[in-house]
Amino acid sequence: MSLSQFLLRRILQALPTLLGVMLLVFVLFNWVGGDPAYILAGKISDPARIASIRQQLGVDQPYWVQFWIFIKQVCTFNFGRSWSTSELVSDILLSRVGPTLTVMIPVLILETLLAVLFAVLVAYVRGSLTDRMVMMSCTVAMSISFLVYIIVGQWLFGFKLGWFPVQGWSDSVITNLVHYAPLPIFLTVLVELAPSLRLYRSFVLDEMNHDYVRTARAKGLSEHAVMLKHVLRNAAIPILTNLGIALPGLFVGSFLIEVFFSIPGLGREVVESVNRSDFPVIKATTVYLAILTMLINLLVDVMYRWVDPRVTFK
Amino acid sequence: MNNPITLNKLRHSAGPWKLGWRRLRQDRVAMCSLVVTMAFTIIMLCSYAGLIARNWNAEVANSYSPPTLHVVTNATSAKAPVGIQRDDPGPPVDISDIDPLTPYYQEWQERTKNIAVVQAEHATHLLFGADKWGHDVLAKTIKGSEVSISVGIVAALLAVLIGTALGALAGYFGGWIDTLLEWLYNVLTSLPYILLILAVAAVFSRGFTTIIMILGLTGWTGIYRLIRAEYLKHTDRAYVRAAQALGASHASRMFRHILPNVSHVILVQFSQNVVGFIKAEVILSFLGLGVPVDMVSWGTILAETQEELVLGKWWQLVAAGGSMAILVTAISMLTDAMRDALDPKLQE
Amino acid sequence: MLLSATCWLAADSAFAQDAQPLKVLRTTLRTAETGFDPQRINDLYSTDIAWQIFEPVLDYDYLARPVKLVPGVAQAVPLAEQDGRVYTFHITPGIYFADDPAFKGKKRELVARDLEYALKRLLDPSLNAPYSWLVENRIVGLDAFVAAAKRTGKYDYDVPVAGLQLLDRYTLKISLTKPDYNFLYIFAMPQTAPVAREVIEAYADDTMAHPVGTGPFRLTEWVRKSKIVLERNPNYRGAKLDTRYADLHNEWDREVIASIGGKRLPILDRIEIYPIEEEQPRFLSFMNNQTDIHDETSPVYMNQVAPNNVLAPSLVKRGIRAFREVEPELTYDEFNMEDPIVGGYDTQHVALRRAMVLGHRRDQEVQIIRNNRAMVAESPIPPGVVGYDPTYTARDQDYDAQRAKALLDMFGYVDRDGDGYREQPDGSPLTINYLLPTGMQYTKLAALWVKSMNAIGIRLTVSQEQFADLLRDQQVGKFMLTGAAWIADYPDAQNFLQLLYGPYTGSSNRARFKLPAYDLAYQQSLTMPDSPERNALYREMSRLVLAYAPWRLGVHRSYTHLVHHWVHGYDRHPIAHTRFLYLDVDIDARQAVQGR
Repeated sequence: MSLSQFLLRRILQALPTLLGVMLLVFVLFNWVGGDPAYILAGKISDPARIASIRQQLGVDQPYWVQFWIFIKQVCTFNFGRSWSTSELVSDILLSRVGPTLTVMIPVLILETLLAVLFAVLVAYVRGSLTDRMVMMSCTVAMSISFLVYIIVGQWLFGFKLGWFPVQGWSDSVITNLVHYAPLPIFLTVLVELAPSLRLYRSFVLDEMNHDYVRTARAKGLSEHAVMLKHVLRNAAIPILTNLGIALPGLFVGSFLIEVFFSIPGLGREVVESVNRSDFPVIKATTVYLAILTMLINLLVDVMYRWVDPRVTFK
Repeated sequence: MNNPITLNKLRHSAGPWKLGWRRLRQDRVAMCSLVVTMAFTIIMLCSYAGLIARNWNAEVANSYSPPTLHVVTNATSAKAPVGIQRDDPGPPVDISDIDPLTPYYQEWQERTKNIAVVQAEHATHLLFGADKWGHDVLAKTIKGSEVSISVGIVAALLAVLIGTALGALAGYFGGWIDTLLEWLYNVLTSLPYILLILAVAAVFSRGFTTIIMILGLTGWTGIYRLIRAEYLKHTDRAYVRAAQALGASHASRMFRHILPNVSHVILVQFSQNVVGFIKAEVILSFLGLGVPVDMVSWGTILAETQEELVLGKWWQLVAAGGSMAILVTAISMLTDAMRDALDPKLQE
Repeated sequence: MLLSATCWLAADSAFAQDAQPLKVLRTTLRTAETGFDPQRINDLYSTDIAWQIFEPVLDYDYLARPVKLVPGVAQAVPLAEQDGRVYTFHITPGIYFADDPAFKGKKRELVARDLEYALKRLLDPSLNAPYSWLVENRIVGLDAFVAAAKRTGKYDYDVPVAGLQLLDRYTLKISLTKPDYNFLYIFAMPQTAPVAREVIEAYADDTMAHPVGTGPFRLTEWVRKSKIVLERNPNYRGAKLDTRYADLHNEWDREVIASIGGKRLPILDRIEIYPIEEEQPRFLSFMNNQTDIHDETSPVYMNQVAPNNVLAPSLVKRGIRAFREVEPELTYDEFNMEDPIVGGYDTQHVALRRAMVLGHRRDQEVQIIRNNRAMVAESPIPPGVVGYDPTYTARDQDYDAQRAKALLDMFGYVDRDGDGYREQPDGSPLTINYLLPTGMQYTKLAALWVKSMNAIGIRLTVSQEQFADLLRDQQVGKFMLTGAAWIADYPDAQNFLQLLYGPYTGSSNRARFKLPAYDLAYQQSLTMPDSPERNALYREMSRLVLAYAPWRLGVHRSYTHLVHHWVHGYDRHPIAHTRFLYLDVDIDARQAVQGR
């Protein structure tokens, strides 16, 4: 089938998923999410004020009415204002995505480059002591909780040694990249490098076990050439697929990092809005992320089929 | 039943499990890891049975006693002042004229004299030090292992059960069941993980089963994907068709025939999930969604270390962080070795 | 060459008063802010910031302790007329709002009508103002006006209210329905600060982000929950430090007089405020000289900052100063007096509550959880408010496990089935549930309660709920025992004692305590000014709290605020907190340390 037919089919398939996401969020937060009226009512309030606030927020209406409003909101991309700060929800999301990406994009780039580099290097010496030592250190590194890395890292590099600011964020992207982001980026890469390295190593080794590698060597190609011209290009497919799967996670980032380093990002926003039962923000975040995830998956699939000639649109 | 094919297999070669075990035995690192894991499990069971670390909650030392190789115990020190003192406190105010309990004052006083007073001895140094309350860090770590490990195992079991059942259904039946489950999978994976966790946590009140629910209900998607792929592969294989020809039902084919052949995948996934959930419990405890207040886990211990490190008290971090790192490393390496040992591609 | 370049730059700059670099102060907030519309804000930290932008009618003297009301935009503190029923405010002429597009290019003077508008606004149904209770049921004609508005559906600000009489352009006469001698305090709160009607109507839904006041600073930049920037308000009329009430024995007062005495205030040009909720980054950024003031040091770090209550030598060497104060606030745990198991006014239930109070290890809470940075609360009235009695000591709330056990035994709360926990006198099981917010600090307090109750044989379970659910359950009375805290809105004991006033059940009286003797004493105290007679009534109410134990009194927390040596004029006020109007920064000293 052609590209356009494929795209249409995928978009049609995405709609039930989006509806499912909306239903899940709606049910979860109406059923379990706390009643925000009590938080907004203040130190001294009474049932009359609570009822009035609930009416203002629109939570006293029957469920199907609220859900219909939700659907309209999704179609118009207008989720109104936050219940706790009265800020426009779209403003909130737009302003939070920037800081998260400022940290996560360098993390993704650095971590992928380093992981691929080390995976290739380790593949050269596969089976040797070096290989096993590296793998063992990866395992040990992965066994330490992310929380411990952050607590110790912030204390050691920020406070004790003073190499980086302990926390903070500014308005200018350059200042952030040069001054505030390095320590969070460093700690995140540290944590994500080990599992990526293991994964990419397995991809590379899988490729190297294929027949065409034996053939290439038999033809007299050097190990370098085998690796770079053949193995890497083929291993690139699962690596890129893996990157594609990781892309949606980029936008939420790591809320732990954002909380500890006071970065006004989307991950922290999600946690805070759940704590405050700020339903408009929760709805908007979920719907946008779901749409983004589906779009990225679609893009990855299209690219995958474009890169690998064996695969056709189904 | 006396199936001639199965009888042949029994006579001629050892099953894949026995082969795998033989291969595993030869890997020294794997054996080491197995021993470590067993050791932790035994300690955990002893703790569960109350043989050790039963009094982890008792205050046996001074606040923040440092670690030492030589344990010293002293009698309780003199009473320290409680809080900021006023310059000129007056005498205790008399409420006997308005107190409903006034008629009982005399009897109350006499009964009070007959109540025994509990005295305690406090150590100044412990093997692994003490926390801010004076609890023995070693006892806490051991008791914490009980909770953390059992959370990891039970939650992993739950996730594996759900993921396997759903994956089998999707991979075996295909069609609209597969479409429906794919839809469910897509919906769940489209939500940010942290949002899902917070939402599930809000449904249940804080408790041991809650964490299991949180982790199990959100963590089955990985194994679902793998099992579904395996079932897709196996459903069309010859041996399954043969079983069908012999009259085996759907359930029988799914669980008596195919399942044993994918069990190595399940085992490896289970093992990985245990590791993942032990680590996730730490984050949940940090968020305040962990075990209830009267229980201790590695997560609650590590959550306390945030404020301790700045004060220079490092022993809880090392004890709990170190134990967790050792156990998780051991299980991870064992898992790797198991996967290599059980991999059918490597079996002749 | 450099000199001419500097002059050229100075002439070009917008702040061209002198060719000096901007005086910038950087500080942090412990909890993120919500906004800056005075009638709509709810939380402490937003209120503090609004206080820098808006000027309430009355103010607190910067140095006077105990606190003292002085004029704000009013010419003088009104005297109570007609036995505390009438108060007349004269606004000082010549005070202008900060410029704003809503004023259409004209300078806008502050008038009495702005105060009347603000007070009416507090009861506007569409606002659901959290502090509406400040003016509810007090002012003649106002509640009728609100009720009429609710019926017609239109809240018309132009309709006059009998109790809010505009005598002339600058004078507002307020008539109360009952005598109230504490009424003036609400006029020192930002929630009653006059606002310009044009601004509110121009910004409609977005008033939280467009605060326009007459105060020394205005909001120039706001990245929500991340950065707040205040800058000098050019229309501010200026101020000078009043030293009448200074305590010359106090080193902080002396420093304030020496550094800013006689100068035209404000001195600061710009203040940058960063909300940082996690303790470690907030604390470390102060220690790293990234911020200048660190308010409310967490008890966790106090052992590092001041071991044995003496400032650590490393901090002294760096010139860091520590300001210690016991805040006018109270933490407490409240019983639900309507609960069948723990509530009730009969001797049996009183005994149960009194025993639980005696069994709770408040001493450990103070020593270990709060690191001794708190004062044990002997009564509901904290130090620093009018009506506080420093000689009042309550033994019945101090830890005494023996007395607790004896009391329980005496009234039939014994362990009959041998499971280690006591049952009720009629044999039915006894389980008490403690309701708290989620979060690490509450987990610690809950664990202490569980331990204390285990030691005296009472089974206590803990529920930690998300904030919204917690508030709801507390409000509707769906709890047995729950934790709470109250920070003074104004410095009078009444603000604390009203929490147990019977008719307030369902709003601020969460314990649902209804004792006729208490209510009578409270009503009487409202009609009296500060006097020995009123203090006697306050004492009576405190004694009743001890006898019937609706609360387990906690502590008055002590806070230590840290200040770098290049900050001058710092003297934190118990109610108004940090006032940027009075602060100064020595930029050269700071740059020397930071090396930037």
